[in-house]
Amino acid sequence: MVALLFILFAGMAIGCAISMVAQRNPLYGAISLIGVFISLACLYVTLAAPFIAAVQVIVYAGAIMVLVVFVIMLLNVEEEEWPTRMRSLVPIAVVLAAVLFAEAAFIIYFVQASPSTPTRNISDVGLTSSIGAGLFTTYLLPFEITSILLLMAVVGAMTLARTGGLLPPRAVVVPGHQVLARDVLDPRAVNDPEPIHARTTAEVEKILGIEGVPHVSDEDLSERSVRIL
Amino acid sequence: MDDLIHVAWLLAGILVAFTVVMTMVAYTVLAERRVLGFIQGRLGPNRVGPGGFLQPLADLLKFIFKEDIVPDKSTRFVYFLAPVIATTAALMTIVVYPFGPEIHLPIINKTIPLVVTRFDVALLYVLGVTSVGVYGIALAGWSSNNKYSLMGGLRSSAQMISYELALGLGLIGVILQSGTLDLYSIVEQQSGHLGVTGWNLIWAQPLGFLIYLIAAIAETNRVPFDLPEAETELVAGFHTEYSAMKFALFFLAEYVNMFTVSMLATTLFLGGWNGPFVHQLPWLGVFYFFGKVILFLFLYIWLRGTLPRFRFDQLMNFGWKFLVPLAIINIFLTATLQWSGALDYVNKFLKTSVGWGG
Repeated sequence: MVALLFILFAGMAIGCAISMVAQRNPLYGAISLIGVFISLACLYVTLAAPFIAAVQVIVYAGAIMVLVVFVIMLLNVEEEEWPTRMRSLVPIAVVLAAVLFAEAAFIIYFVQASPSTPTRNISDVGLTSSIGAGLFTTYLLPFEITSILLLMAVVGAMTLARTGGLLPPRAVVVPGHQVLARDVLDPRAVNDPEPIHARTTAEVEKILGIEGVPHVSDEDLSERSVRIL
Repeated sequence: MDDLIHVAWLLAGILVAFTVVMTMVAYTVLAERRVLGFIQGRLGPNRVGPGGFLQPLADLLKFIFKEDIVPDKSTRFVYFLAPVIATTAALMTIVVYPFGPEIHLPIINKTIPLVVTRFDVALLYVLGVTSVGVYGIALAGWSSNNKYSLMGGLRSSAQMISYELALGLGLIGVILQSGTLDLYSIVEQQSGHLGVTGWNLIWAQPLGFLIYLIAAIAETNRVPFDLPEAETELVAGFHTEYSAMKFALFFLAEYVNMFTVSMLATTLFLGGWNGPFVHQLPWLGVFYFFGKVILFLFLYIWLRGTLPRFRFDQLMNFGWKFLVPLAIINIFLTATLQWSGALDYVNKFLKTSVGWGG
């Protein structure tokens, strides 16, 4: 029964992996990768590691790949051209693939040749409680270090995304005719909602006699809120 | 041999759960149309069968016999795959919900709990499968080669990713409290006095319940968070280009999602099948469970009849700047209460002074 399931899901994983590399369309590649992740999760279940399986689906298939698909959809990436200048790399790739296969064969040989030692028979390995206990006692330091690493990544991503630097997020001028409240654009005019008619940033600056009214291009429009009176 | 019997039991359980859920979903659609009719001062569908009782059947026949139109410029494979993913992901979670307590089956003389399967990470499984459901909508929007579909798909991906976070964080309070991810155990822990006082909603997780309820409505793309299919802006959103049975699959997925989300809310916050006299009459538990689920479904329909739609920036601000911080506060509160033993103290007080026993 388990062997049958293993063959099924391992076959699915390998098939999806091959398809992922072979597909010219990036979105098909992404879908194949999702297939790989899900088959792997099923394999984890047959290996009595349900927690890892669930996390695999939630984190990889459910979060990371959604972002990848999202980006592909947004950019509307065309089918990949066959890169001619990469042809010279083919021999190297063949050699590397051979090395990889040799490694895999060696591991299989090693596992089968070594005498089978009885592993400790613990029934709660792979269960949520044992993993949680392990993370917060034995492996607390690596766990905390990983958390801090992730936190740094989040902060870094936010810093990179805030291209506007110190722009007040409310005061933006969009190309095209618009009516804006004075207090939105001018930091000195507190609570002065007197309307200003303008088409460009330069016009606003001239009317208000200030410098540095932030300007938003058409591309950024969806990213920011525009206050129009 | 034992394996085969086990598999046969599982398949029988899946079949029963599937049939029950599908029937109830079909009648949810009818109920929605009738209740909306009532809210809006009209009748709703009442022609097919007594009181419109056979309307779901008529709808199904109509969906099957409609012409199936596939846009020329669509990405064929993905276009066909999308409704399959949406429906599969929606239906896959029904196997973990406990519909009732242990019940003695008279003829084959066997006592079984009314849940298809119990496993260690049931709650995570639900969250994982739900998160895969996003692909159905996103891919449908992309493959249709229609700007309204694409906008709808993008909106829904963004919305579902954002609210999944609040949803998951909102549930952590319950997990902290019960110390398990197994839904059956979580329900058992909520028995309390008369099967009512132990509900997580009442003492333990009122805030978590609120967060879950709001995030769940957003996850299922229902009013007031139905931006992915906002008719006034996007025609029909991600399923604009879908017709006949493929549209019906999306429709089905939406209502099954509604149903499973209600089942999860019932299981985690409203004590599942717990209620008065369940210990004496175990079958009552099934009625309590579905009764509570129906309450949630009614709430969904009621909201649809009364609330206007959010604007997209409001939606995002609300999700990220209000719900997520609120969920983190809830986790902090729960952890503090749990660590200091305050809830145990309350329970003990209730047991000794008021006579409410667990």
